[in-house]
Amino acid sequence: MANVSSQVHWEKTISEVNDEILVNLEKPHKSFYVALGMAASLLLAGVVFVGLHTVYGLGLWNFAPPLYWAVDITNFVFWVGIGHAGTLISAILFLFRAQWRNTVNRSAEAMTIFAVICAAIFPLIHMGRMYLGAYWALPLPNTNNLWVNFRSPLLWDVFAITTYFTTSLLFWYMGLVPDLASIRDRSKGIKRLVYGVMSFGWRGTAKQWWHYEAGYGFLAALATPLVLSVHSVVSWDFAMSIQPGWHTTIFPPYFVAGAILSGCAMVFNLLIPVRYMFRLEKFILPQHLDACLKLTLFTSTIVFYAYGVEFFLAWYSGNEYEWAIFEKRAIGPYAFYFWVMVFCNCIFPLAFWSRRVRASIPVSFVICVLINVGMWFERYNIIISSLVEDFIPGSWGHFEPGLFEIVITLGSFGLFFVFYLIFCKLFPIISLSEIKLIMPKPLSPHHADKKDKDGGHHG
Amino acid sequence: MDIPDVQPTPVSLKNQPSPSYEGRGLAVPVTDHSTDHPIDHTRGTLPLEDFMSQNPTAPQTDLPMGDVPFSEVPASDDPRRGREVLAPNGPFEAPAKEFVPGPYYMEIEERFPELAPREGTQVPSTGSPASQGAGFSVGRRDFMKLFSATAVGATAACVQRPVEQGLPYVNQPVDQYPGEAVWYASTCGDCTAGCGVMVRTREGRPTKVEGLPGHTVNDGKLCAVGQASLHGLWHPERRAGPEMRFGDSIKKVTWPEVYEHLGEKIKNSGGKVAIFTGGSTGHRHGFFREWLTLVGSQPSRLYTFEPNTLIESTVAAYKIAFGIDGMPYQDLSKAELIVGIGSDFLDVGTSLVSDTKGYTKSHSYQAGKKGRHVQLESVLTLTGSKADERFVIPPGSETVATLLLVRALFASSKAKGSAQGRIQIQQVLDSKAALLEAAYGKLGLKKEFFDKLADDLLSQPAVVLSGGSANFDENATSLQLAAIMANELVGAYDNVLHLQKGLRPAPVNPGDLSRFLSEVQGIEVLLVIDSNPLFSVPASWGLGEALKGIKYVASIQEFPNEVDDVATYRLPNHHWLESWGDEAPRLGTWSLRQPTVRPTHDSRQAEDALLWIAATLKRPMGYQDYRSYIMKKWAPIQQTLAVSGAGSSTETFDTFFKTSLKTGLVGQELTTAIPALAGGVSAAFKLVETPGVGFRLISPLDVRLRDGRHAHKPVLQEASETLTTIAWDSYVALNPKTVAQLGLKKFDLVKIQGPVGVIEASVYPLPGLHPEAVLVPRGNGHAKGRGTIEGGAGVNPLMVVNKAQDSVTGSPAICGQLVKITPLGTVYPLAQLQKHNDIANRKDIVKKVSLAAAKEKPVRKVDLDDVPDIYPALPKLDYRWGMSIDLDKCTGCQACYVACTLENNVAMVGREQILLGREMNWIRIDRYFWGNPDNPEVTLQPMLCQHCNHAPCEAVCPMYATTHDPEGINAMTYNRCIGTKYCANACPYKIRRFNWWTHKWNVLGNRLQDRSPRALNPDVTVRTRGVMEKCTFCYQRIRDAKHKAKLAGRLVKDQEFLPACAQTCPTEAITFGNLNDPASQITQDRKDGRAYLALGGDPDHGHFGIKTLPNVSYKAKVSLNEVEGESSEHSTHHG
Repeated sequence: MANVSSQVHWEKTISEVNDEILVNLEKPHKSFYVALGMAASLLLAGVVFVGLHTVYGLGLWNFAPPLYWAVDITNFVFWVGIGHAGTLISAILFLFRAQWRNTVNRSAEAMTIFAVICAAIFPLIHMGRMYLGAYWALPLPNTNNLWVNFRSPLLWDVFAITTYFTTSLLFWYMGLVPDLASIRDRSKGIKRLVYGVMSFGWRGTAKQWWHYEAGYGFLAALATPLVLSVHSVVSWDFAMSIQPGWHTTIFPPYFVAGAILSGCAMVFNLLIPVRYMFRLEKFILPQHLDACLKLTLFTSTIVFYAYGVEFFLAWYSGNEYEWAIFEKRAIGPYAFYFWVMVFCNCIFPLAFWSRRVRASIPVSFVICVLINVGMWFERYNIIISSLVEDFIPGSWGHFEPGLFEIVITLGSFGLFFVFYLIFCKLFPIISLSEIKLIMPKPLSPHHADKKDKDGGHHG
Repeated sequence: MDIPDVQPTPVSLKNQPSPSYEGRGLAVPVTDHSTDHPIDHTRGTLPLEDFMSQNPTAPQTDLPMGDVPFSEVPASDDPRRGREVLAPNGPFEAPAKEFVPGPYYMEIEERFPELAPREGTQVPSTGSPASQGAGFSVGRRDFMKLFSATAVGATAACVQRPVEQGLPYVNQPVDQYPGEAVWYASTCGDCTAGCGVMVRTREGRPTKVEGLPGHTVNDGKLCAVGQASLHGLWHPERRAGPEMRFGDSIKKVTWPEVYEHLGEKIKNSGGKVAIFTGGSTGHRHGFFREWLTLVGSQPSRLYTFEPNTLIESTVAAYKIAFGIDGMPYQDLSKAELIVGIGSDFLDVGTSLVSDTKGYTKSHSYQAGKKGRHVQLESVLTLTGSKADERFVIPPGSETVATLLLVRALFASSKAKGSAQGRIQIQQVLDSKAALLEAAYGKLGLKKEFFDKLADDLLSQPAVVLSGGSANFDENATSLQLAAIMANELVGAYDNVLHLQKGLRPAPVNPGDLSRFLSEVQGIEVLLVIDSNPLFSVPASWGLGEALKGIKYVASIQEFPNEVDDVATYRLPNHHWLESWGDEAPRLGTWSLRQPTVRPTHDSRQAEDALLWIAATLKRPMGYQDYRSYIMKKWAPIQQTLAVSGAGSSTETFDTFFKTSLKTGLVGQELTTAIPALAGGVSAAFKLVETPGVGFRLISPLDVRLRDGRHAHKPVLQEASETLTTIAWDSYVALNPKTVAQLGLKKFDLVKIQGPVGVIEASVYPLPGLHPEAVLVPRGNGHAKGRGTIEGGAGVNPLMVVNKAQDSVTGSPAICGQLVKITPLGTVYPLAQLQKHNDIANRKDIVKKVSLAAAKEKPVRKVDLDDVPDIYPALPKLDYRWGMSIDLDKCTGCQACYVACTLENNVAMVGREQILLGREMNWIRIDRYFWGNPDNPEVTLQPMLCQHCNHAPCEAVCPMYATTHDPEGINAMTYNRCIGTKYCANACPYKIRRFNWWTHKWNVLGNRLQDRSPRALNPDVTVRTRGVMEKCTFCYQRIRDAKHKAKLAGRLVKDQEFLPACAQTCPTEAITFGNLNDPASQITQDRKDGRAYLALGGDPDHGHFGIKTLPNVSYKAKVSLNEVEGESSEHSTHHG
C-alpha cells in the first residue's frame, strides 16, 4: 500500500482543493445539523446523569461488589482504544510514507483528541468524587510532602494519557497551521483575525515549510512509541493485578492490536458520514477507504490470534482460577458478551478479504460498526467476567448494566460527536497541504496518463 | 437519712475477685477507681482526696454539667425527687422534705461542695467561662447557702423541662477523662440467660457492650443480640414519654398524671389488677407479686410468658419429672458425645453463649481429641450444621425419635438410672410400644441405629439434648420428658447436666398464657411489661380480643409494639442499660444489673413506676426505688454467701453491694443432686403420635431477631441468617428437591395457607431440610408503620397457625401444623449476603482434615511464612499482628459481625443495597454446602481483610491510601482515598468495602436507621461516600494497648487486648496476637498442623498459591470421618 496515490484516479485538481474542501466552513449539508442535534442531546443527558451521581453518590450506578469497575472503565478503555488509530495513521503511516493517510489523517487525529478527552473523563467519573480525583492523582508537591504511588498502574495511566494527549494535540495542531493560514486568507473580519492568530502568521515561505517539515517529522517520531505505550499502560491496569483473566503478559500487544482495530473501524465510520455531509467523495476516494479496511482486517486477525493465545495460556498454565474464568467467559452466564466479541471482532471482519465487500460502503460501514460494538464488548467482557467470579466463591456476584451505565455511556458518545462535528464545521477535514502533495501536479504528463486509466488497483 | 448512697460503680481491675482482668483482653483501659472506703452517708459528702482516689462514678450523659442546676434537670415526678408534691405523707423511708441525691448527680458540688465554684460565679444558664479557674474556696456557710438554694429550687421547680442532650461538658467532671473509656459491669437484659456484660462508656454514653470476663455464664463473651442492645438504647424510635389514650386520640401526658390516673383505675378496680410480663430469674417477679398483693390483687395475677425456645416446656418437664421448680443448664464441656434431637442449642438455646462455649471445649479439635455430635432434625439448624453425623427426620417426629432412643438405652445392660426411674420409663415405653415399633419406618432409621447410638451414649460422658423448633409443637413437654428419661439412663445428670433447685426460680411459670386467657374476665387493669404477646402468640389465640376486653391496659415497654394498639397507657420503660435489676444465672450465683447512662428519654423503669402508683394509692411498699428493693433482697444473699464461705462475713452490706456492682457477679456456682424420676410421667405421653404426611410449617426462633423483639435493631437485621445469608426479610425455605417438584424456583413468591391464615413469602431452596418441612423463621412481619426498621419487613408465620396447644402445659404450639403451598407466579428477590453456595471445587480456600491426620501432624514443619520470594524479607520489629481463625470452632453465630460493626462504626445499608451486593460488613461469614443437598455438610468461614504482607491492593492504589504498616497491618488512610476502587478489584478475598453513598445518620435508604451518632465509637473515624474501608484489626485497640505498654515501659503482652471480633467470639475460634512473639498464642496457632493461608496453595507440597502471604491464617476443619483424597496422601507423604 506504499504508494496508493500513484494508482489513484483523481477527478479533482489541486486548484479545486481549497475551494471544495473548505466549503464546510460555510454551508454544510442539512444532515450535519441533525447529527449535531442528536449528539448534543446525548451529551446533555450524560451531563445531567454525571451531575446527579456527583451530587448523590456512585451508588446510583448499578455496579456493586464484587465488581468495583464495570461500564465506567469499559468506556475508558474503549475510548483510549479509539484514540489509537489517529496517531497510528498520522505518525506511523507518516513515517512509512503511506500516502493514503493524507486524505484521512486530519479527521483521524481529531478523533484521537476527542476520544482521549472522552476516555480521560471516565476515571474521574468512576471515582464518584471527581472534584478530588482531578488533582489528587497528579504528582503535585504539597505541604505534607506526600506523593502519589509511582508503583500504581493507575498513575502510569495518568502519565501515559496526558503525554499522549499533549503529543497528539501538538501533532494535530501543527498539521493544521498551514491550512488555518489558507482559511485566514479566504475569510474576512473577525474570522480572519481569529484564524490569523491561530495560524501563527504562517506565510508559506520555504523557510517556514522547512521548519514545518522538520518539526512534523520529529513529532511523528515522538508519537510513534506512544501508539504502543499508551494502550500497553492501559492494559497494565488489568495485567498488574492478580485477578484471574487479567493477570497475563499477552495484554499489552493484545490491547494495542485491539485498539488499532477499533480505531481503524471508527475512522471508517466517521469518514463515511463526513464524506457525505461535506461532499468530499472526490477527495476521499474508494482507494483510501479500501486501505483503511485492509488495515482493519490485518489488526482483526492479530486480535483473533490473541484471543486464541489467551485461552491457550489459561489452559496451559494449569491455574484453576485462570481457567475457570475463561471457561465461564465462553460458556458461563456472560457467554453472550463473549460471543458478540468473537463474532464482531474476528469473524465478521473476515469478510474484508473480499474486494466486493470492501468496495461496498454500506456493508463495510455495518461491519465497522459491529467491530466497534465488538471491541466495546471485549473490554466489557474482560472487566466483568474476571471480576464477578474470581477467587472466593463466597463473594461472587452478578452484574447487568443499569440506567446510569447506559445513559453515561451514550453521553460519552454524545460528547465525542459534538466535538467532532464542531471540528468538521470549523477546521478543514482533509489536510489541504498534505492532499496537495499526493495529488498529481497540474502540469505533470503523468497526470494526463492517469486520466485515461482505471485507477482501481493498488497494493 | 439511711438510704445507702450507692452509685453505679465502674468495673475495677483491682477488686475483681477471679479471674483477673489482667490478660483478659480488654482493649480499652478499665478505669481504676477503687471503692474500698464506704461513703459516709450521714454526712452526704466525702473529703475531696477520698473522692479523687476512689470515686464511685455516676454515669453521665453528655449533659451540660455546669449550666443546669441540679434541681431543675430531673423532673419533679422522678420517684426520688420532689416527692412531697405527690406523696405528702411520704411512702419512703426518707423524710419527705429532705433533699435526697439520686444515683445520678448533675453537678459535682452536690456531693462535694468543696468543688463548687466560688460564690457569685455560679452562672445560671449559659455556663460562662467565668467560673473556670475558680479555686475551691467555698466555705461551709457558702455551701449551706448554695445547698439550701438548690434544695428550695428542687422543691419549687416542678415543671417538666425538656431534657437537653448531646452537649459537651462545660465543666469537666473530675472523674471523667475525655477520650478514656469508663467500664461498668452489668447483666444483659435481652434474654433470660443472664450473661454478665461490661459496658464501655465514653463521656457518659455507652458505646459498646461486651461480655464480662470471669462471669460464670459467658466469661467475657457475648452473643450478637446482647451486643446489639446498644442499638436498642440509642434507637431513635424509642418511646419518648408517657402517652394516654383519650377516646380515639393519643395525648402526651406527664408521669404524675399517669400515676394519678392509673392509680385511680387500680383503686376503683377492686383488686382486679394483673401484670403480664416476660421471663426473669432475678427478683423482678417477686417484686411484681409483692406489688400485686399490695394493690389488692393476688400474686397469682402475675402472668409470665417468655416466647423464647426451650424455656416453658423444659421448666414444665422438670417439674413433672422431678418436682423441681427450676431451669436446667448444661455444661457441655464434659460431653464427649452429644445427641441432639431437634435441638438448636448453638442457635437459640437457653443460653447460647454458655452452651457454645461448652460445646467448643468438648467438640472442637483440641490436643488430638474431638467430641462427637449426632444430630437428628427436620430442618437445618446452625447446630445441625456443626454435627458430625446428621440425620433428617420428619418434622414433628422428634419426640418419637427420642423415645426410640430411650427404648434402646433402656434395653441396654449398661444403662443407668434409679430403680424408680426405670419403672417410670418402662411404663412410658410400654404405653407407646406399638407406636414406637411402627416409627422406625416413618423415621427412616433402623432399630440398629438406635441400639448403636445407645451403646455409644453409654460408653462415654454423653448427653441427649432436645428442643429447637420441636419445642413449639404439641409434644414439646413430652419431648423434654423423653430427653430427661434418656439422660437419666445415660447418666448425664452425673457429669454433664447440673440442675438447680430452690434458689433460682424458673424464668417463667409454664402454661401462664392459657391461664391468663381463662382468667382474663376477672381483670380490669392489666400492665403489660416488656412483653409483646400480640406478636409472639399466634393471632388465632385471640389475645388481641382478650386484651381489648380489658378495661385498662397499660403497655410499659421501652419500644413501641403491638400491645400499644389496645393500650390506654403507653408508658416508656427504661432500657436495661438504664435500669437496675438482677438475675440468678446459676444456682448459687447472682448477677447485678446497674444503669450505665442517665436515662435519655422521659422514661421510668417499670418497677419504679409501680412504686409510684403504689405511693399515689397511699399503699407504700417501703422502698424508695427499685434499687432499694434490690438492695434489700441482696442483704440475705450476702448473709447466705457469708455463711457458705463464698463471701466475707465481716464486710458491711455497703461494701458488699458496691463490690458486687464492680464485679457484676457474686456467689459460687453450686450443683445439686438430681432426685429420682417422679411418678406420673407416662401421663404426659398420652397424646404423642408419629406425624402424618404433608407439608408442615416449622417456625423456629430466629437467632438474631428471636421472637421479633429485636427486629427493630438494624445491626441484627443486617447480620443475616447464617445458613441462608438472607437479611432484612422472611423466606420460605424448602428442600431443593421439593422446590423442583413444586415447579418453583428460588425467590418465587408463594402463598403459605395455614389452618387460619395466609402469608406470602419468597422460596429459598435450603439444602438439608426434610422434604415435608416448610421453614419460615419468626421475628419479622411487624405491620407496616409499626417502626421504620422492622415495619413491613417480612412476614410473621404465626398468622397462619391454629390455636394448638402443648398437650401438657397448654402453651402455644406453633410448629408442625399442616400448610399448603401455592405459587403466586411472581418473583420477589431476597437480600442475600452470599449468592453462591458452592466452593466450586477450590482446594485452598476451605480445608478439612481427618482427625487421624490432625493427630499425626500437630505442628507444621513448613513455616507458613517461609515462602520463596524475590522481595527482601520484612523488617523484624517488636510486633507483627496476626490472626488465626479455627474453622473447626466457628458456629456462625454472627457475634463477630455485630461486634465489628459496633466497634468500627460500620454502616448498615438495608435490603435494597444488599440486593445489589453493597453490604459494608468488614467481616462476613462465608457458608459453603458440600455434598448431598438432602443432608449437606456445612462449612463456615469468617472472611475478613487478610492483611497480606504482599498485598495486591497496596501496590495498585495511586494515592498511597492503602499501605503496609511495618507491623504487618494493611492500613487504610481514609482521607487519602479518592475512590479508584482498584484496591478492591485487586483484592482476591473481595473483602474491601466501598462507600457507595454517604450512609447518613438516622437514615437508611428511605427508612430511619437507628445508628444514632451517639451509638458511635468515638475512637473510629466515620467514613464518607467515595471512600474504601475494611478491617483494620481494630487499630484503635492496638494503638491503645501499645500506648499503655509504652507508658509502663514494656511490650504489649499476649492477649492483653483483642480486636472486637476475637474479644466476643464465644467459641474462641478467632485468636489474635503478636506473631513476632514466639510464646504468643497466635504463633502457636500459625505453627499448628492444621494452619493454612487462604488461597495459599499447599505449601507442604511446594505450592504457594497466589502468594499474598496473609497475616490471617485459618485452621482446617477436623472431620471425624475420612477425608477424601487424604488417605493416599498419607501413604505417600506421611508414611
